[in-house]
Amino acid sequence: MAMRKSDGNVKIHISHLQKDFGKSKVLKDITLDVYEGEVVVVIGPSGSGKSTMLRCINRLEDITGGEVVVDGIKITDRHVDINKVRERVGMVFQHFNLFGNMNVMRNLTLAPVDLKKASKEEARKKAMQILEKVGMDKKAESYPSQLSGGQKQRVAIARALCMEPDIMLFDEPTSALDPEMVGEVLQVMKQLAADGMTMVIVTHEIGFAREVADRVVFIDGGYIVEEGTPEQVFQHPREARTIDFLNKVL
Amino acid sequence: MVRIINTYGSLLLTAMGQTLLLALWGLFFACILGMIFGLMSVLKNRVCRVIAQIFVDVIRGVPMIVLAYFIYFGVPYGLNNLLHFSVTLSALQAGTICLALNCGAYMAEIIRAGIQSVDKGQMEAARSLGLPYWRAMQRVILPQAIRTMIPSIINQFIITLKDTSILSVIGFPELVNTAKNVVANTFMSFQTWIIVGVMYLFVITILSRVAKILERRLNRGNAQI
Repeated sequence: MAMRKSDGNVKIHISHLQKDFGKSKVLKDITLDVYEGEVVVVIGPSGSGKSTMLRCINRLEDITGGEVVVDGIKITDRHVDINKVRERVGMVFQHFNLFGNMNVMRNLTLAPVDLKKASKEEARKKAMQILEKVGMDKKAESYPSQLSGGQKQRVAIARALCMEPDIMLFDEPTSALDPEMVGEVLQVMKQLAADGMTMVIVTHEIGFAREVADRVVFIDGGYIVEEGTPEQVFQHPREARTIDFLNKVL
Repeated sequence: MVRIINTYGSLLLTAMGQTLLLALWGLFFACILGMIFGLMSVLKNRVCRVIAQIFVDVIRGVPMIVLAYFIYFGVPYGLNNLLHFSVTLSALQAGTICLALNCGAYMAEIIRAGIQSVDKGQMEAARSLGLPYWRAMQRVILPQAIRTMIPSIINQFIITLKDTSILSVIGFPELVNTAKNVVANTFMSFQTWIIVGVMYLFVITILSRVAKILERRLNRGNAQI
């Protein structure tokens, strides 16, 4: 595969990943490497396991089988301090999951201060810079319930960025948004991609994938069915299942 | 009525004090037990969850009067005769244990329900930032859970305060027990029980009022949510 970033370091190495929920096998055999600075967009029908795969990367889901290595640390190893790995892997959720009991500033500074990555003042300063970047600096004292969906998601991205992660995972970040708010969130993500962040994005935004992705991965039935550049996957899909899916969403 | 108040007023007030003392001790330990078993029942670990569930089911399934007799009479007798291990419990100690167990089981359920009422995504988001489980619990989950718990907790406090009257059966000199003695001496049961009823009503009304103010203040702090 001729990837423009594939000569770099492997940031995420997934091999033969399996995940069962009780009797149902959601991920059957997933093998995927993500390189430093690469933007990988994961698409697929609902229930295909794409979100589950993403959640295995920071072990929000217990991994049934296979191997996941993040930044050189084998997180499938039981003895690994997963919290240390998570500090470097930001995650953005479909439903934002901002802490409802805290204002925006506290949402951003909680983890850095609590985990002693920064003093309170440093964390606040940094949070303010990041809020400016995502255009939310005016809302630092607001509570999540006072924000629109798009604003919430931008704050959620800022919250993850405050931990200075090497990798960002996005789990359908625009799926819960009203259509007019999708753009502002995608804009922030584009900026992040341009800054060289390693990103894995589960999304239904094909247009966005086409524009930002270095690589598109199509998952169905717990397997990676097809992967390649956006052009390869969207313009010249080889697999019948990919073609079928793209016909439905495009 | 006036004669009773004049003669037995201070006695009844002292008894009310004993009632409150018993209730406070009971509630104190109930909060601890409730917290422990409530948190255990939301853990991933199956053993912890089952233990918590058994505790709640057993205590809920046994009337408190049975529990009181068992702890005060049954346990020391059993230890003495079966294990040759001599223990005596004062009525206050037995009463406190009894209230703590009983109220603790209900508190555990309140705390469990409160924690489970917080969206699962809150914990996931906190964990995804690298916060350890208990830290996330303390910083993110419990502060949100507590708001939904407060009304039920206050309700449970009031029930427990009233339940102290059941402990008259083990001879603890709380209000009902003392009132029985007053009735035995005066034969004025109508007047005595009215006085006792009003005393309970008075204390519980104050407690409710204080709780309402507290609740409002807590909600005001989070009015934005």
